[in-house]
Amino acid sequence: MTQLEEVRVLLVDDEVEFVDTLAKRMKKRKLKASSVNSGEDALEFLGQHPTDVVILDVKMPGIDGIQTLREIKQQYPLIEVIMLTGHANVEVAIQGMEIGAFDYLMKPMAIDDLVYKIQDAYKKKAIQEEKIGERLKASAV
Amino acid sequence: MGQVVDFIKGFFPKKKKKSKTNAEELRVDFRARYHQFKLLLNANNKSLEIMADIERALRLGQPFGMSFVKATCTAISVNVFQMIKNLAELGPGKHNELSDRFNGIQHNIDQLLTERKEVKDERLIIPLSSIDKEMADLVGSKMANLGEIKNKIKIQVPEGFSITSASYQKFMEHHDLQVEIERRFQSADLENMERLYTLSAEIQQLIIRSRPPEDLHEAIMNACRELEGLEGGEMRLAVRSSALGEDTAGTSFAGQYRTELNVSPEEIVEAYKEVIASKYSLTAITYRLNRGFRDADISMGVGCLVMLNAEAGGVIYSRNPVDLSDHSIFINSVWGLPESVVDGSVACDLFIVTREKPIRVIQKEIKVKEKKSIRRSQDGVSRIDLPRDMGELPSIDEAQACILAELAIKMEAYYTLPQDIEWAIDPDGTIYILQCRPLQQMETAKIALPEDMIRPDKKDVVVRGGITASQGAACGPVYLADTGVDILRFPKGAVLVVQQALPRWASLLNRAAAVVTEQGGFAGHLANIAREFGVPALFGVKGVRDQLNSGEIITVDAGGLTIYKGKIDSLLVESDIEKNLMQGSPVYDTLKQVSRHIVPLNLLDPDSPDFNPASCKTFHDITRFVHEKSVHEMFSFGKDHDFSERSSKQLFYKVPMQWWILNLDDGFNEEVKGKYVKLDNIASIPMLAFWDGFVAVPWDGPPAIDGKGFMSVVFRSTRDTALTPGLRSRYADRNYFMISRNYCNLNSRLGYHFSTMEALVSDRVNENYVGFQFKGGAADYQRRLKRALFIKEILEKFDFRVEVREDNLIARVEHHEKEYMKERLQILGYLTLHTRQLDMIMANDSEVRYYKAKIERDIRELLLSK
Repeated sequence: MTQLEEVRVLLVDDEVEFVDTLAKRMKKRKLKASSVNSGEDALEFLGQHPTDVVILDVKMPGIDGIQTLREIKQQYPLIEVIMLTGHANVEVAIQGMEIGAFDYLMKPMAIDDLVYKIQDAYKKKAIQEEKIGERLKASAV
Repeated sequence: MGQVVDFIKGFFPKKKKKSKTNAEELRVDFRARYHQFKLLLNANNKSLEIMADIERALRLGQPFGMSFVKATCTAISVNVFQMIKNLAELGPGKHNELSDRFNGIQHNIDQLLTERKEVKDERLIIPLSSIDKEMADLVGSKMANLGEIKNKIKIQVPEGFSITSASYQKFMEHHDLQVEIERRFQSADLENMERLYTLSAEIQQLIIRSRPPEDLHEAIMNACRELEGLEGGEMRLAVRSSALGEDTAGTSFAGQYRTELNVSPEEIVEAYKEVIASKYSLTAITYRLNRGFRDADISMGVGCLVMLNAEAGGVIYSRNPVDLSDHSIFINSVWGLPESVVDGSVACDLFIVTREKPIRVIQKEIKVKEKKSIRRSQDGVSRIDLPRDMGELPSIDEAQACILAELAIKMEAYYTLPQDIEWAIDPDGTIYILQCRPLQQMETAKIALPEDMIRPDKKDVVVRGGITASQGAACGPVYLADTGVDILRFPKGAVLVVQQALPRWASLLNRAAAVVTEQGGFAGHLANIAREFGVPALFGVKGVRDQLNSGEIITVDAGGLTIYKGKIDSLLVESDIEKNLMQGSPVYDTLKQVSRHIVPLNLLDPDSPDFNPASCKTFHDITRFVHEKSVHEMFSFGKDHDFSERSSKQLFYKVPMQWWILNLDDGFNEEVKGKYVKLDNIASIPMLAFWDGFVAVPWDGPPAIDGKGFMSVVFRSTRDTALTPGLRSRYADRNYFMISRNYCNLNSRLGYHFSTMEALVSDRVNENYVGFQFKGGAADYQRRLKRALFIKEILEKFDFRVEVREDNLIARVEHHEKEYMKERLQILGYLTLHTRQLDMIMANDSEVRYYKAKIERDIRELLLSK
C-alpha cells in the first residue's frame, strides 16, 4: 500500500478559499499538501520543493492550466499532474491528457476519490522511478 | 470460436524467448504493467458507471440541466481516452485505429452539444414601432407580441423599445460571464434547495456587479433620449423581461423574471441588469430545470415601455382557463396598476362576459380592494391603502368590461389561440395593452363516478370555498409557509398553504402535492404555473390557514372547492398521472441524442470477425474492445518471459488441479519457484472468495439427462470438434486465473461452456466490482438460452444486474463493501461448478424446479449464513 505521508502534493487554483480548504482536508489525511494560486507560482514552487503530484486548475488568470501543465511536464517529466476543473471542456481535457496529464477531474469531487487518484498517480511515479533505477543498475553492470 | 482457441493457445508460446532481463527488473515491469492495467480497469468502470447514470436519467425523467449533460459527456470522453492511452502503453503500436474512432465519435457528440441559436441580427436596440412577431428571436416573444399588437392589430400599446438578445449576448460575453455561470452550475448539487438558493443569489450578484460594455450602455441611453423626445418631456419606464421562448404556448415562465416599474432614465441600466439577472432567480432556475430548458438557449431580451398613470388595470382571459367547455371571457381588475392582479397579492374584481353578441356582463364579483399600486414620485411603485368606500367600488364599469372583452376577442381571433392579456386604463380613459401571451388552459377533471361514491362524508370536510386555480385532487400533510426560509424547508409531497398566491412559491410546485391560498385568483402567475405542472390549486379560501394545522393530512379537491381531513381515496383516482415535463424537453433530447453515441453496445462477441476498432460505433464499443484487448495483453506479456517465478503455475489444492494461475503483481504471498502454487500461498482476495464458493458443496455429477437432451448434445458435438472430448485441444481445456492481491480475472471452460469472471475487491468501495459472463453449452440453442435465463433469475435474487442476449449472459455488481463483494464471488464460484451441464435438463420443468430450489438453498445455507 502506498504510504500517504510520503506523498508531496501541490494544489494550484486561483480560488483561494477552495484551495486552502482542500489543502487542510488533505493534511488531515496525512498528505503533505501545499498550495499556490497561479501557474507562475506553481513553477516557482516546483523549482524549490521536490513534489510528487500536482493538482492543477485549468482556468486561471496569468499563464493558464494547459500552459502550466506543458511547462511542468517539460521541466519535471516524472511529476504527475491531475487536472481539476469547475468548467467541463472536452477539448481542454483531451489536450491536457495528450500533453501527459494523469487525469482530468471535475468539481465537485469527493475527497476520498481525489485521494485515491493521488495515490494512483503517486504509485505510477514511484514505479517509474524504480524502473529507471533498475535500468541504471543494469547498465552499470 | 477459432479466435478463442488461438487466444488461449497464445498463452503458451511455441518457443520461449531467452531473456536477459534480471528478475528484479522484470518484477518492476510486471508492477508497472499491472498498475497501468488497473488504471485502465478503473477508467472502464467509471465509463460503465457514467453510461448507467445516463440511462437512469433518461429513464426516470427527473430534472437535470445542461451542466449535467456536459459534465457527463466530458467525464466519459476523458475515461474512454484514458483507456485507449493505457492500452497503447500495454501493447504499443497495435491499436492505432482506435484513436480515429474515438475522434469520430467525439466529433458527433461535440456537434450535438454546441448547437446553439445564433443571433444574426446584431442590433442592440429596436424601437417598438418597428417590431413585429417575426422578430421573436431578436426581441423575445413578449416584445414581439406587443409590437404585433401595436403595429399590425393597431391596438394601443405604450411607446417603448427593446434591448435585444444581441445586447444580452454581448453583455454576457463581456466578462466571460456565461463561462463563469456554467462553472458554478457544474459544482452545484441541483437537488439541494438551499444550495440552489445560494447559487441563484451569487449568480445574480455577479451579473448586477458587472459593468455593461461601453457601446451597449451608450445605445440604451440614446434610446431613452429618443423616447423622451417622442413623449415630449420627462418619462419613466417599465422595464420587463422578454426572453426567447418565454410566453409561448405550453410554457409560461410566468412571473419568474423580474419587472422594474417606474424607472427613470438615469437608473435604466441598473434596472436592465436586475432584469437580466432574474434569469437566475430561484424560481427561474428550478423552472428551467424541471422543464428541461437549456440555459444557453434562453437569451434575455428586455422591453422598456413608457409607464402609464393607470387608473385601473388587470388581466383578461379570453377563455376559462380551468374549463374548456366554458367560452366566457374573464376579466380581473383592480384600482391602480395591474401588478397586484398578477402577483396574486390583492383581492380583485371579476367580470365574466359573454362571447356571443350582444356582448354583456353575465356575472360580476366586486371585492373590497384594500390597497392599490401607484407610481411613486421617485423611482418605483408603492402600494397604498384605499379608503373603504373607494375600495368597495367596482374598479371598472360594465361598459369598460365589454370593451375589454371585445379587444380580447379581436386578439384571440388574430392569434387563433386563447389569450392572457394584461391591460391598464390611463386617466383619460384610453385602454392600453401591456402584455399578451397564449393562455394555458386545462382540461376539466370530471370523474365519471356516481355522485354518492365521490361525495365523502360531510364530517370530513374542513372547509369549502375559493376558486379553482388548477384542476385536480391531491393528498398530503399541511405545510403552512410564510417566509423565504420555508422554501428551503418545504418537504416533498406536502400541501403548500400560503396567505397570498405570490410567484415566489412557484419554485415549490415540483415538490408540492397541492397549493392552497387565502388570497389570489386564477389569473396570477402561480396559478399559471400550477396548471402547467398539473398541481391542483385552490385559491382564495378565506381564513383557511387558521383551520389547518401543520403536518395534518388533508385532501385538497380543487375542482370541488373542498378540503377534507385525511386521505379521501375516491377523489384521488386519476391524480396519479404525473406529468413528465422532462421528456421531450430540449435538455432531455440533447442527452438522448448524445447517448446514442455513447451507450449502445454493438461489439458483443469477441470471437466475431467484427470485433475490431473499425466496428466501434459508440464509446461503449470502444470500452468493450479495449477491455478485451487489455486482458489479452496482460496474458501475452506473461507468456513472453521464461522466468519461472513469473510464468503460470498450476494450482495445488489437495492434488494438482486443472487450474492455472498467472500472478500479475502481488497475487502470491511469496515467490513460487516450482510448477505448482498451493492455495495457502495465494493472496488474491477475489480469487480466494471465488474458490471458497467453488469448493463449498461437492458436485453431484452431471444431471441425469433425458433422451432428447442427450441427442442434442450428440448432434452438436458432431459438428463442433472443440466440444468432442477426445478431439478437444489440450489448451482449450485449461482454466486461467490472472491475479493480484485485489484483482482476479478468470477464463474458464467447464464442461461445454465458456465463462469469464473479473473482479476488483479492495477497501476502495467505489472501485469494487464483479463482472461475470457466460456463454455456450453443449445442448441446443433453446436449452442454452433457458439455462442463461435460469442463471439470470438466480443472480438477480442476489442483487446482480443481469442481461441476457442470445445465449450470452452478462452480470455485474459494483460499489459494495469488501465482505459483500466476497459473498457475490462465492456465489459465482458455486454457480460455476453447479450449473455445468444443466442445459441438458432445461426442457424438463420439474427438474428445473428441483435444481433451482437446491441451488438457492445451498447459497443461502452454505454460503451466506457463514
